[in-house]
Amino acid sequence: MLTDPWPTAFLFFAAAAVLPLLPKGLLRALLLLVVPLAAAWQIWTLDLGTFAQVEFIGFQLDLMRVDKLSRVFGLIFCLAAFLGNLYAWHVRDPVQQVAALLYAGSAIGAVFAGDLITLFFYWEGTAIASVFLIWARGTKAAYHTGMRYLIIQIGSGVILLAGVVLLYRETGSIAFERMTLGSVATWLIFISFGIKCAFPLLHNWLQDSYPAATVTGTVILSAFTTKLAVYALARGFAGTEILIYIGTIMTLFPIFFAEIENDLRRVLAYSLNNQLGFMVVGIGIGTEMALNGTASHAFAHILYKALLFMSVGAVLYRTGTSKASELGGLYRTMPLTAMFCLVGAASISAFPLFSGFVTKSLILDEAGAGHHPYVWAALVFASAGVLSHSGIKIPYFTFFAHDSGKRPAEAPTHMLWAMGITAFLCIAIGVYPDPLYALLPYPVEFHPYTMGHVVGQLQLLCFALLAFGVLMRTGIHPPEIRAINLDTDWTYRRFMPAVVTRVADAVSQFWSAKMRFWLRRVEAVVGRLFQVYGPEGRVAQSSPTGAMVLWIAVFLGVTLIVSFLS
Amino acid sequence: MGEHKRKKPEHLPALGRLLLWVDRPGSANKIFWALAVVCALLFVLDFTYDKHGHFHIEELPGFYGVYGFVMFTALILAAKTLRIFIKRPEDYYGDRAVDSEEYPADQLDKERYHAD
Repeated sequence: MLTDPWPTAFLFFAAAAVLPLLPKGLLRALLLLVVPLAAAWQIWTLDLGTFAQVEFIGFQLDLMRVDKLSRVFGLIFCLAAFLGNLYAWHVRDPVQQVAALLYAGSAIGAVFAGDLITLFFYWEGTAIASVFLIWARGTKAAYHTGMRYLIIQIGSGVILLAGVVLLYRETGSIAFERMTLGSVATWLIFISFGIKCAFPLLHNWLQDSYPAATVTGTVILSAFTTKLAVYALARGFAGTEILIYIGTIMTLFPIFFAEIENDLRRVLAYSLNNQLGFMVVGIGIGTEMALNGTASHAFAHILYKALLFMSVGAVLYRTGTSKASELGGLYRTMPLTAMFCLVGAASISAFPLFSGFVTKSLILDEAGAGHHPYVWAALVFASAGVLSHSGIKIPYFTFFAHDSGKRPAEAPTHMLWAMGITAFLCIAIGVYPDPLYALLPYPVEFHPYTMGHVVGQLQLLCFALLAFGVLMRTGIHPPEIRAINLDTDWTYRRFMPAVVTRVADAVSQFWSAKMRFWLRRVEAVVGRLFQVYGPEGRVAQSSPTGAMVLWIAVFLGVTLIVSFLS
Repeated sequence: MGEHKRKKPEHLPALGRLLLWVDRPGSANKIFWALAVVCALLFVLDFTYDKHGHFHIEELPGFYGVYGFVMFTALILAAKTLRIFIKRPEDYYGDRAVDSEEYPADQLDKERYHAD
């Protein structure tokens, strides 16, 4: 198609430039579908290697490094862009359409970046483009949430840039290759990746912002930013041991929050965080199989997570709410959406024959093979946790459970198609994982469908389901209630502002006290002067003419002294 | 049953009508006990093949089942406890968070299935 390969990202940018020129409606929506397909075709047909090298202020930038790791991420990003845009077929808002193109293009550009400067530009590109998917909601709350999101995302980019500059001073190279933690430079780059990857304590932008985006915006947001960070970590920090423990904590802490969260899109954001943990553990282990596990899990995850966001989004689109406390019993009138949601739930819970099973077991197996018993036990626990919020809570409290009395129409046709294709892919990967395995960075010698794997996983899931049944029947399971839960973002949304306000209050009080003190002094002096020189004062009692003469004499004396001295 | 009539199940989509079974009295019980039977079968199945995991504990029959059941329960109880400490009203963050606002209606297509 293109003899001298263009960087794939430029396809998206060109489309973003052309889109506003097209008439509103069908053509624009079609362009949004064609571009990701063309991009996927380009990536698929390109040979491995580095293309599109350009000079930039004395540096050589590699805009298009195609190897097996970047290819699999590039392909899934194109697929995610296609599915997300199909889901957003009804959207006529050019801002969201252009943002979706620029966002996907930046993410793909970052994946193929062969050097850290290119990576930085695209890194910031994803931040700036994506915030419009939040702002497009158009409310004051969305504006503030978008601002919080933007500050953190841009911050991540600035830290990355600082790291790159220091690294260049140290090594004289800007190549984006594997790094070892040790210097300030690599730590800065690591933290920058960690912010976008939603490491524990750096995570809360994710749960804060994703539920605030538009119906379709959240679906698109869910695919790129965090998986770009996973890719960057896999490229730059594979085998870094600390990632095993960071990843393990990431799989664990969100499952508690997800369990008691009412907004289902925020539940999915916590669940996304938990799934990233599995990928980060894979990167930390860093063996070929573990990295295969990370890449394949990212691939499968993007699909089932998009599917879950789509189904909850469709419910929001039809009912106006995504809160579990307000929903229930929707299977009656939205049965197809319910079925697709169940496919997504089964995939994320890693039921055999669904995509999560054939990808997550790669990571779990490597954690076992690497003799990390505690990590392994935590990951198995986290797998049961995934079932509890994404496998049960999302479909059960939306489509089943008590009847909310809501009778919304089924999702629009284009949403059903988007969900249907995604659901098909989730099952196809689960039933026949070989094509996905063939795409992975390293050769795969792994058979997910052994008796031990299947029975073990089914036991884990079915007994956990049984536990859910018992807890529901005994009334122990916490009910869905209208409330929010604090997370660490409380520190910068409430605690820090409160501290700043207190400090500001104290300073201003001190200041005004000081001012009052001096004002009183000045007042006293003025009062005294008034007393002496005022109309009622002692000086005024003598004749004003006499006083005038006296003053003129004084001035004259002073003038004489001054002119004499100078 | 009267309630079902009021909601005109005959007008629901075919798949939705089929699924109405889950809300019949007694269905929840049936599902629960069917699940219990599946669990029992899975437990028995553990004796029928050679187990070799990375850790000895995996070789105990029913290890995954027991672990799943216990940890799931523990998770729910822990989360329930956590809620006591971190639960806040929806408008806690005021108008700077989307929690207490309505989703803008002009971006939705709130279509009802039937005017029932």
